Amino acid sequence: MRNEMSNSARLAMFAPLDQLGRAEAVAARLLDAITLGLLDDAEQLPSEVELAAQFRVSTVTVREALAVLRQQGLVETRRGRGGGSFVRTPAWPPPSSWAARLRLVSMADLRDFGDHYLAVAGAAAKLAAERSTPEDLERLRLVTEDLLKATGPEAIRAERHFHLEVAAAAQSPRLTNQEVALQGEHGGLLWVPLGEPEQCREAYAEHQAVVAAIAAADGDLARKLTEDHVRSALDRLADLHLSLETP
Amino acid sequence: MTLQHEVSIVTDTRTPTGDEVVTQVSALVEETFARLKPVLAAAEALLAEPAGRTAEALHGIRPQVIEALGGLVIGAGFVSAPHVLTDQEFGFEWWTCAGAEGGEPEQLFISLVPDSPNFLDYTRQSWFTVPRDSGRRHINGPYVDYLCTDEYTLTFTVPVSCEGGFAGVVGADVYVREFERTVSRRLRSLGRHAALLNAQGRVIVSNSVRQATGSLVRDVDVPAWWTSGAEPCTTSAGATLRRCGDSPIALLVTR
Repeated sequence: MRNEMSNSARLAMFAPLDQLGRAEAVAARLLDAITLGLLDDAEQLPSEVELAAQFRVSTVTVREALAVLRQQGLVETRRGRGGGSFVRTPAWPPPSSWAARLRLVSMADLRDFGDHYLAVAGAAAKLAAERSTPEDLERLRLVTEDLLKATGPEAIRAERHFHLEVAAAAQSPRLTNQEVALQGEHGGLLWVPLGEPEQCREAYAEHQAVVAAIAAADGDLARKLTEDHVRSALDRLADLHLSLETP
Repeated sequence: MTLQHEVSIVTDTRTPTGDEVVTQVSALVEETFARLKPVLAAAEALLAEPAGRTAEALHGIRPQVIEALGGLVIGAGFVSAPHVLTDQEFGFEWWTCAGAEGGEPEQLFISLVPDSPNFLDYTRQSWFTVPRDSGRRHINGPYVDYLCTDEYTLTFTVPVSCEGGFAGVVGADVYVREFERTVSRRLRSLGRHAALLNAQGRVIVSNSVRQATGSLVRDVDVPAWWTSGAEPCTTSAGATLRRCGDSPIALLVTR
């Protein structure tokens, strides 16, 4: 692991300055797509030229991003006829991939993200309690059940979907947009430790409690329970960040 | 907040206020559903043929869908029930003209692959479940349409049948803000606190700050009033409640 990290760090170090952030950004995008199952195992990636056009970066940048992913064992490149870059989905959980992303986030950024997310998710839960009809509650219950059956990436999706459904039940397009944007930014990371079945059961119980508070039209309780739920995920993430060795 | 569902409701035989609002809302609703008629006919004709039950063949209803856009309708299309199409589980042919002013209609795409992290199961949405379960037309919302446009929306849906079974819905999207713009003048001219509510008692538009858009009216049990026939009535607190024509929208006027 140390060797891999220092290699990719060296790659990034010697990248042209204006390309530095871009290669990292492209690698992070592909990394999310692979770890969240958006790209299937053994699926062939588009060519470097196509990827460069899609991300609107140079082929050099794409090559660097692919090199980083290759170092992490998430992409395999074959030469010659039928060659190209192929996805290698890691066994769940994929420690090297999310760990690599988590390393890039500072504690200051993590806290700031947490503050913003707590404000959005908490306010959405309070308003959902004031404005939910039996139909809304039925959808919230269904999406809560999803988490019970889920493992790995499905758990992350169920977690994201739950908070999206709460924001929609708040009847607020703005809070829903914020929810989607924040989840898009760090959501994959925030719920990553949920791959463990025990944590899924805990999260399930917490969602059930939030839904019960919404059903009882108790906005203050729904907000508090949601904040507690999100805060424990944030704390878990900060602990993980601190436990990772710095590159 | 205390719930006061016990307020007694008596049927009112006098002509209640708000005739103009009721007539306008009823006309708006009927016009919107009328726009969906050719789309429904096209979808049912297509699905009647086994060869029409593919994602590719669904493009055949585009002319009718695009024709349905306009007026208050900013989005329209067909959404299939699971396994109606032979080549994929879900089907979604939806077009919108919500983009640039005077711009060409654009097709809306959503994830239809259940394993994708972006997949959201539309068969749980009320605009889908209510026509499926009741066999009747429905107006969903106001709700946040996080599946497609992220806008605050009213979605009008009509069930589509194929070989006697439920095959999906055709629908039309109307933004709440446009609906409000259309009816607010008449609503204000009532001179009293008034609000248009959906069948669940949710405020679609009101002329009072006390009844915010999207909030639930708690001092009258609107769902119970709907299930008991939605006849015009006056509550003991002096509020009148009446249905806007055959639409699932009610006008609540309070003193």
